[in-house]
Amino acid sequence: MLLGDESDGSRAQPIHVIPLYAESEKGEKGAQIDPNDPLALPFSTRFTCGECHSYGAIRGGWHFNAVDSNVPAGRPGEPWLYFNSKLGIQLPLSYRRWPGVHRPEQFGLSLSEFTKIFGRHMPGGGPGEVTPTETEALAEQYVSGKLEVNCLACHNAHPGQDQGGAAGYAIQVSKTNFRWAAAASCEFADVTGSVTDADPTYDPFMPDESETKAPRTIYDKKAFDAKGNVFMDIVREAPKERCYFCHSDLFCGENGEKTEKWCADEDIHMTAGLTCVDCHRNGLGHNIVRGYDGEDAESGNPLAATTSCRGCHLGEEGGNRVTGGRLGAPVPEHKGIPTVHFERLTCTACHSGPWPSDRPVLAKTSRAHRLGTINVNKEVRVLPHVYAPVFIKEAVAANGTAKIGPHKLVWPAFWGTVDANDGVKPIELPVVTKIVGAVLTDVAIVETGDWSELKEEQVAQALKALADAGQAKPVYVTGGTLFRLNEDGSLTSDEDHPAAGAYAWPVAHNVRPAAQSLGVGKCTVCHSTKSPFFFGKVAVDSPIVSVSNLTKTQYQFQKAPHARTWVFAMSFIFRPWFKVIAIGSTAVIGIVLLLYGLKALGAVAKLLSEQE
Amino acid sequence: MFQTVAILALLLTFIGIAVHWVLTPAGGPRCPVVGGVHVFSLLLIEQRSSLLGALKKLCYLVAAVCFVVLAITGFWPTLVRGEHISGFLMYIHATFAPVFALCLAILALTWAGSHRFVASDCPWLLRLLRRVTRLRIPSDDRPWPCSLAIYKLAFWAILFLALPLILSIVVSMFHLLGTDWQHLTLALHRWISLVFAIAVIVHTYLAIRLRMTSQV
Repeated sequence: MLLGDESDGSRAQPIHVIPLYAESEKGEKGAQIDPNDPLALPFSTRFTCGECHSYGAIRGGWHFNAVDSNVPAGRPGEPWLYFNSKLGIQLPLSYRRWPGVHRPEQFGLSLSEFTKIFGRHMPGGGPGEVTPTETEALAEQYVSGKLEVNCLACHNAHPGQDQGGAAGYAIQVSKTNFRWAAAASCEFADVTGSVTDADPTYDPFMPDESETKAPRTIYDKKAFDAKGNVFMDIVREAPKERCYFCHSDLFCGENGEKTEKWCADEDIHMTAGLTCVDCHRNGLGHNIVRGYDGEDAESGNPLAATTSCRGCHLGEEGGNRVTGGRLGAPVPEHKGIPTVHFERLTCTACHSGPWPSDRPVLAKTSRAHRLGTINVNKEVRVLPHVYAPVFIKEAVAANGTAKIGPHKLVWPAFWGTVDANDGVKPIELPVVTKIVGAVLTDVAIVETGDWSELKEEQVAQALKALADAGQAKPVYVTGGTLFRLNEDGSLTSDEDHPAAGAYAWPVAHNVRPAAQSLGVGKCTVCHSTKSPFFFGKVAVDSPIVSVSNLTKTQYQFQKAPHARTWVFAMSFIFRPWFKVIAIGSTAVIGIVLLLYGLKALGAVAKLLSEQE
Repeated sequence: MFQTVAILALLLTFIGIAVHWVLTPAGGPRCPVVGGVHVFSLLLIEQRSSLLGALKKLCYLVAAVCFVVLAITGFWPTLVRGEHISGFLMYIHATFAPVFALCLAILALTWAGSHRFVASDCPWLLRLLRRVTRLRIPSDDRPWPCSLAIYKLAFWAILFLALPLILSIVVSMFHLLGTDWQHLTLALHRWISLVFAIAVIVHTYLAIRLRMTSQV
């Protein structure tokens, strides 16, 4: 156990005035960083932070362990969305085994390529830190380095921590400067050049001053003290701004209206003075609490049950110790809400996400839309198209519940092949780029970043080209529909093909105040034939017009039959009558009982008085 | 627990009625088919009935149908499937419930007079009271019309139980009760409905018996 692995109990923030260490050529702890060295290597978090904190334990945490197949996948979460408007691709990818996502290697993305594309919004580790087996990839990694866990991404409280700026972490990752990314993000180092632009013979451990395009780290000498140590503003609890870099949302209406930050409210927990890590806690293992019902049964994290919505607001049932109301969480009374709601709905169904509208709006997320990085396309219709809130019945959780909750939803679109079980696997990106790209040369790229419209004839041509190139049973999946070629070469489509279904992941934030919950005023917010909760129209997203004109109704995602849902919604028209009749009838019965009760009392009184 | 208790209670009720029917025949037709037709004919509205009488009978029949529907939709999912009522069963339950409540109110108004307890309903009670209290309570030596007394008792029990039965659900529809109270009212509704159902079954059985012996 290292010095910083266990707290001594002090609530004070430990001061980090520490030496910086680079990684050596052999992947071991290298020399201390000398800011006066013009060819100084970037410091390594593994060997700098790892001096006092068990790096090996930390890198097994939730943010870094997606590539570890032994880690339970847990509830489906946000995937990485690869998109290409011209090729008609919008594909959810993840190393976690969530149903509906595809593994990057199936799509032809190596660990390095995946990291280069998506590492911008990763705190390092994971795929960026895996040692490849292929010699060529190993050689590439020798130069680029591994994308180590970037402790600073979360724990550096200095305002100069640059995750998405012009020379910050994200841009370094996109330049394959994995080794330099963490150093570039901090406030006292700058990185110039890039691995991709460097000479092919470039060796980071034998740098040459004449090599101007290669990555170079320039340290701020003033940040170093006489002993060569640096003060780092490291905090135990990550500030919310650090979390926001990867976990921000923006909701845009279909008509183009966006919720600007200044006219939107923060999550009520933030307003109440909490931070993300007050609920999403972790220990040394960084097995951070995700905070969903049933997580404790899957993750083995002892905090999972107590820091969920239920854990703080209601506490554990039974026992002498009162656990509800933690952190000042109000214990909800839920006056007038029938208890069946708590069996069938997640807390977030009524309390989280944007207020449901007739058509779920387009949502942008940090990870899907590169929010917070430079040159972001701010158009509403920019790909990928993520819709929210869609109220979906989740799969049965580890604790045996299957509740309806708000989700973000994406319609996968990709070129694939059908396997023996009628499952679909995506065709590797380089193949698609070459074969399909050659067919779709005339397709114009839309400036807004929206889909480039595809015609069914073009899909047929592309599928034929893929078949000619040796792809067995090629198909095109989009908007829940699977297009394939008949034997005569014509295009046929299977609507609602199981392999073409939408991928959705739960919306947890922003949590609205209790006064803005669904159903707080009237039942008919949800229980009416026009309620967005049951009858909102979810757009089916596709570059093919005939598919994108389709819609699905919310109740279809809740596995609820149409007639039953409609009849139930209709019944609420008569609910006031029901109340009047029931109360009136009760009043009449009560009066009759009272009347005859008094008569009986009178008879007894009369009998007793006659005795006198 | 409710499932077990309810199944046992309902079974005991039906067994008790069957045993009572066999041990103390009502004196009607002995052939089961003829007996069945006779019982069915009791449901029909007699031509000699006045308009009010016909309406009372009609109201009773509607209430009886509603009760059957409510009992099936209410008890079936709980007792047979071990689930809460939901889906179409709940819609049917909620649709018939106000009709039943309305009929019950009308029956309370129109039948209460004829279901008043009189001295002859419980002669043993009077004798007991006279012995214990030594008051000059007039006694009646005629045999105790047990069925009639229980018939009336069942009627008043039905009315008395109807109040919490209806209110336990209606009150949960207003923004008054929190989750714990909602659970309580739901449990109340469930348990009261069981006792209520037994009271209705007993009342109906005795109504048929008494009609066959022309005591009511």
